[in-house]
Amino acid sequence: MRIFENANYQFMRNRKIAYAISGALFVLSLASLLFRGLEVGIDFLGGMEFVVESDQPVSTAEVRSTLATALGSEPEVKTFDETGLLIRTASTGDINEVEAQVLRGVNEAAPGGTHRIVKTDIVGPRFAEDLKRGAFYSVIGSLIVIFLYIWVRFQWKVGYSVGAVAALVHDVVITLGMFSLMHHLNIVPFSLQIDQTIIAAFLTIVGYSINDTVVVFDRIREYTTMFKTENYENVVNRSINTTLSRTIITSGTTLLVVITLFIFGSEVLRGFAFALLFGIGIGTYSSIFVAAPIVVELRNRIGAR
Amino acid sequence: MPSFNPQVYPHIKQSDLPAAVGAGIIWFCSMKENGFKTTLIVAFLALCGFYLYPSVRTFLENRKIAAMADEARVQYEDENYVSLRAMREKSLKLGLDLLGGMHVTLEVRLDALIRELATDVDDTFNEVLAEARAESVSGNSSMIEIFGANFTARDPEARLSRYFRDDEANITRRSSNAEVLAYLQSEADEAVQRAIEIIRQRVDRFGVSEPAIQLQGTRRIVVELPGVDDPERVRSLLRGTARLEFRMMTDPEDVLRSLQQLIEAYEEAPAIAAADTSAGDSTAVATADTAEASPTIDNLLDETDDALAPNNRLLAIMQPFGQGVIYGTVSEADTAKFNALSKEILFQDQLPVNTRLMFSSGAVGIDPDGFEQFYVLGVREEVELDGSVITDARVEFDEVNRAEVTMTMNAEGARTWSRLTGANVGRNVSVVMDNVVYSFPTVIERIPSGRTSISGLESREEAQDVVTILKSGALPAPVDIVEERTVGPSLGAASIRAGLNSVLVGLLIVALFMIFYYRTAGIVADLALILNIVFILGILAAFGATLTLPGIAGIVLTIGMAVDANVLVFERVREELSTGKSMKAAIDGGYSKALSSILDANITTFFVGMILYSFGVGPIQGFAVTLMAGILSSLFSAIIISRVVFDWMVGERRMSVNFG
Repeated sequence: MRIFENANYQFMRNRKIAYAISGALFVLSLASLLFRGLEVGIDFLGGMEFVVESDQPVSTAEVRSTLATALGSEPEVKTFDETGLLIRTASTGDINEVEAQVLRGVNEAAPGGTHRIVKTDIVGPRFAEDLKRGAFYSVIGSLIVIFLYIWVRFQWKVGYSVGAVAALVHDVVITLGMFSLMHHLNIVPFSLQIDQTIIAAFLTIVGYSINDTVVVFDRIREYTTMFKTENYENVVNRSINTTLSRTIITSGTTLLVVITLFIFGSEVLRGFAFALLFGIGIGTYSSIFVAAPIVVELRNRIGAR
Repeated sequence: MPSFNPQVYPHIKQSDLPAAVGAGIIWFCSMKENGFKTTLIVAFLALCGFYLYPSVRTFLENRKIAAMADEARVQYEDENYVSLRAMREKSLKLGLDLLGGMHVTLEVRLDALIRELATDVDDTFNEVLAEARAESVSGNSSMIEIFGANFTARDPEARLSRYFRDDEANITRRSSNAEVLAYLQSEADEAVQRAIEIIRQRVDRFGVSEPAIQLQGTRRIVVELPGVDDPERVRSLLRGTARLEFRMMTDPEDVLRSLQQLIEAYEEAPAIAAADTSAGDSTAVATADTAEASPTIDNLLDETDDALAPNNRLLAIMQPFGQGVIYGTVSEADTAKFNALSKEILFQDQLPVNTRLMFSSGAVGIDPDGFEQFYVLGVREEVELDGSVITDARVEFDEVNRAEVTMTMNAEGARTWSRLTGANVGRNVSVVMDNVVYSFPTVIERIPSGRTSISGLESREEAQDVVTILKSGALPAPVDIVEERTVGPSLGAASIRAGLNSVLVGLLIVALFMIFYYRTAGIVADLALILNIVFILGILAAFGATLTLPGIAGIVLTIGMAVDANVLVFERVREELSTGKSMKAAIDGGYSKALSSILDANITTFFVGMILYSFGVGPIQGFAVTLMAGILSSLFSAIIISRVVFDWMVGERRMSVNFG
């Protein structure tokens, strides 16, 4: 079986449509990020998070209200897997004390059951600050490294680097925006909080998207020397079309395993798998519809530099 | 080649096999190219087998042991202790998120150490120190450097030597700022090293199998405790400064008089609190499981009965008692509020000179809401003796079988103790640890021997931990828990199952798809894919990396992305075939043309993996490691393995490979 054999889609001629879609998504994401923000986890805010496993159903609202008085501020309470509760508090009290209060609160909300804390995550505010900086630098750092590598590998032509990094920024911002939007619309049944694992997912998306982009760029570079007389736009369009089946198959197999991870992976990995699911989709799209067109635009404006 | 015989295994030096493999490679180098590649593949497989062998055996042994009856298990583990241990040490390590256990990052409070070292402290000093603490967020930054820089930034002429003096280190008034900072730095480094030593001793005594303790950055200590399921106890043990003090108690008549003054003062005081309750110091709270006999509330002073007005802020949180050295009782729920209240000037003004209030360690009753209650005790400010005089400590049991810690003092301590008890017969002395009063016996007669005990402990475990902390010595500076991640063993096991399921299902789906789409070539790609997973695990085992849940996610992801290199080649081969080239020429062309794409794509992803590794901690590093290992092994399996298979099929078997 073959898909997209002898594909000849007019990606370049219709690139304005892609610009409109990407622009709209980008603006929507930025707006949501600016005005709505993200659900930031304790990794970057500091605080304590407990997963309590119970042998009987416990009402989240009940736990929230019993703990609000004990902890002095209302904690976040969600269900975790089938039998668990995830309780997150910004309390900065003594750990042993808060832990005891949480167990007592759950006992009060559902007396007679057996409740155990099966997972504890505690991040001090200073440590959270450190993690936040680390996450920020790692995302920025990877963008810079990619920019430089592509600049060196593609005959010192800045256009490729700009196109690649623009596509990456596009992917990361829109995926973040999606997290922000979905969190506020409250339409998914799992946690969308931004924590270290999600940052790892973002860097993976960056890695995946650049992988995809480089394959297209490589073809552009090859065809540019092969078809010297042809219009650059057509060269790029042909490059995208010939790599299209590879692009779709690789994203296809990767998406398949990410869906597997989303379904079979544990609750801990659900947000991570979701970020990858969305990010790999958008990364594939951006290699074709953002990175390559930008290379063309820059070539048209500043020449073959 | 050395045998993998399990009986021989523990004696093999790890270097033997690579050496043998190296010799083999050199020998094969003289052969034709594919012979070399085949040898390389065999060598890598053998290496992976070598590194994975202990893991496989550990897995099988663990299953065998788990199936045994308790007695047989203990006996078996005893008999094979050395080989089991060696095997486990060399096997692929599972992260705490899979195994269950506790990961704690401690930060040594160097600011407290600097303040401790200073002989003379003023406001400027305190402000600069607070600034330095606020700015030194990164674990890699040097707090001492920041302190020095901030100090000179404030006033370039100012000299640090006015705050410090140390004859041994030759720090005098004349010392330059650089000298003082160097001195502080060496003291700080020493303090951190000493803290690691002390924490190692404590953890060793706690009895965890294979704990890991290491320095992170300049002042953080990472403690990993697999299988630990009692985080509360571990926290106390790690943080415990065990600042042991012996103090006199406030005279009972002073307690009674100041209690009356306090009640009256708050009777007249405005009801609205100006106190900053968030500043409440909650470290002075002890928790308890079992309660002792309820205090005799009937004994409450008569005059306070009618004073329990709701607008009296003191009486709202403390039940007055006023007998002996006891001010009253405070419920566990109100300790933070009480701490805040007692910091008010109005409160402080009523206390007798030299008196400080402290909570008792054990609960003395339970309030109507089910909270435990603790005594508020009047303790003198002066420390008569401290923990440095203790030479030995052990757990003993009193008449009613309650655990207590008995301690022996050195000669100097015993002398002071003897003099102190002799001069205070009939009065109360207190044994204070970390600002909590453990016992406050009345001195009946002079104690000449220097033996003393701490009672009022919750349990045997607590007594054992106190002994551990006392014996390991006091930490040179307090430590904070800045990060803790605890996973229960059941959740860890569930994560392993979930991870394995995703790997298997992901592998199956991708493998089937490749065969469906690329036919014969797909089977070759699948072979490479399976070897790929063996290589990843082999690389992880060889580098002693830890497999975490995100790491497993990394493997799943690699399964999806690893076929990419093959896809790139196969698509190129199809293109070449469509131009009418022979099978052999098409495969040659496909590989050579796809190579630059494959390399570029993987190198950039590898960079991202490296950045992720350097930024991430724990599980995230595990993810980065598997991602990088996956890139390396998928490159190898796509470029070398599948190529050799194709060459063999086309070149030697004259087969026509179906590329779908």
